[in-house]
Amino acid sequence: MTALEVTDLRKVFPGRTPVVAVENVSFAVREGEIVGLLGPNGAGKTTTIKCILGLIEATAGETKVFGARTDSEPHRVLASAAAVLEGSRNVYWRMTAWENVAFFASLHGVSYKERANRLYFDELLTRFGLASRRDTQVRELSTGFKQKVAVVAALARRTPLVFLDEPTLGLDVETTHELQALLPDLVRSEGRTLVISSHNMDVVQAVCRRVIIVARGRVVADEQVSDLLDLFRTRSYRLSVAGSLSDTAVQGLQTVGTVTDLTVDGGQTGLTVQLPDRGSLYRLIDVLRDDGALLEDISQREPNLEQAFLEVVRRGGARG
Amino acid sequence: MKRWNVLSGVWMRHLVQLRRYYFNTVSSLITYYVVFLIIFYGVKAVGGPAMSAGDTLEGMIVSYFLWTQVMYAYSALSWGIADEAQVGTLEQLYLCPYGFGFVNACSMAVSLVVNLLVNAILLLAAMATTGKWLQLDVVSILPLLVLTLFGAYGVGFAMGGLALVFKRIQATFQILQFVFFGFLFIPLTKFPAGAYLPLAMGNALVKRVMVDGLRLWELPAGELAVVAGTGILYLALGLAAFSWASRVARTRGLLGQY
Repeated sequence: MTALEVTDLRKVFPGRTPVVAVENVSFAVREGEIVGLLGPNGAGKTTTIKCILGLIEATAGETKVFGARTDSEPHRVLASAAAVLEGSRNVYWRMTAWENVAFFASLHGVSYKERANRLYFDELLTRFGLASRRDTQVRELSTGFKQKVAVVAALARRTPLVFLDEPTLGLDVETTHELQALLPDLVRSEGRTLVISSHNMDVVQAVCRRVIIVARGRVVADEQVSDLLDLFRTRSYRLSVAGSLSDTAVQGLQTVGTVTDLTVDGGQTGLTVQLPDRGSLYRLIDVLRDDGALLEDISQREPNLEQAFLEVVRRGGARG
Repeated sequence: MKRWNVLSGVWMRHLVQLRRYYFNTVSSLITYYVVFLIIFYGVKAVGGPAMSAGDTLEGMIVSYFLWTQVMYAYSALSWGIADEAQVGTLEQLYLCPYGFGFVNACSMAVSLVVNLLVNAILLLAAMATTGKWLQLDVVSILPLLVLTLFGAYGVGFAMGGLALVFKRIQATFQILQFVFFGFLFIPLTKFPAGAYLPLAMGNALVKRVMVDGLRLWELPAGELAVVAGTGILYLALGLAAFSWASRVARTRGLLGQY
């Protein structure tokens, strides 16, 4: 089933100089997916999420959550969706972690007085490492724990769709890794659908199977993470050769591909060669063999989401 | 049933916050009491304008009691909405599927009950201090009080709405507190049209119950209609203003800003 549909969404903020924040954005998210919404600052990610939730009124287009339209059925949309929008600012600092979870869950009609719900809140707090801090006022918690309370408070609303806008903002590496492990687990065990907007590419790459990249208010890529990485998988190899390479060998390699990062460190030479096609790898080996060079290591350089993202945004920006 | 859970949550939050911000809770109670003493003994000493307007000391106690109740009601909405925007929880309240209006209605109901209890203590303290014991006919007072407070809630909604759009309007909030004071002390015998302003007629009728000992059904039907009509009208106007401001805030993307 389709959890979320965004069709030709457009948002122009009025003013003396109207600002086009979102321009004809369209995408769909299936139930049970974890989708990353990526984009540079001001790309329109948060505006898109807020338009879906009805917190910002769209100028044009249509958004649907589990079939309910935001403009005509906002209550049905909100019954199926929760969100962390401003992290730790989304909770009451003078209330304890548990009180926050209970309060925000109650806004979705989830009773904190029912035993089953109380057990669920405690389970969530435990999964997020907050069990020992359940009765601590949020103001006394570290930034990471505050952020976690905000995430738990959103999850406790028990909605099938959850938006997490910058869930790792201000988190340390350890807490970020914890969250990275927890989110997919949550989707598996509870069948939720997550839309994660983040600048943290490691988190998105680890958690999301699909990414939608937004730049200047437009969708510039909507791909499975693996497909996107394949798209940017260059035939770039890092080589390590014993001793130094002769000028003839270097010139020979340059006829095969593009040589970069040539370094000589002690008794070893390192270099990166980008090849035009798969067959060039054999020619590269031939050049080294003919020169009598001893190849000690060769590895293909794996692209990462950050590089892919930057490239997509650059191309998208150039088109825009 | 699920809506009941929202009310239950709002109730829990209110009590928790009263406890956590206990200094504010206790100090506001003490401040209201001290201000009352200053006004009461001041008026008594000089036989001030309130007396010459045909009012009595008992009437002043009632008006002050009503004013504190109005202040609590008005502040809960106007300052409440501005505070939520400032701390960053406002958008989360908007995510309630039963509507932000419903969350506010719950806040209104909860603050009304709590403030009535708190104010009852203040009233008893005021009566004990002054030796002026009033009629506490709850059956007659409560409906009048609620209808009168509708006007304050209306203004509270309107101000809360303006806070969504213009953010820092606390100066206006403060000025309005004194405007409310004025509404309560309007001498309706001299300015009958004042009855159509928020609070004025309600205050007059509450006085007749608490000071003169009249029951609700002994009050003139026309005057009761004015209390009900103005209360509902100002609440409706406040809600309409809030709804307009909320729409403007959503169009301009201001809900999450402060």
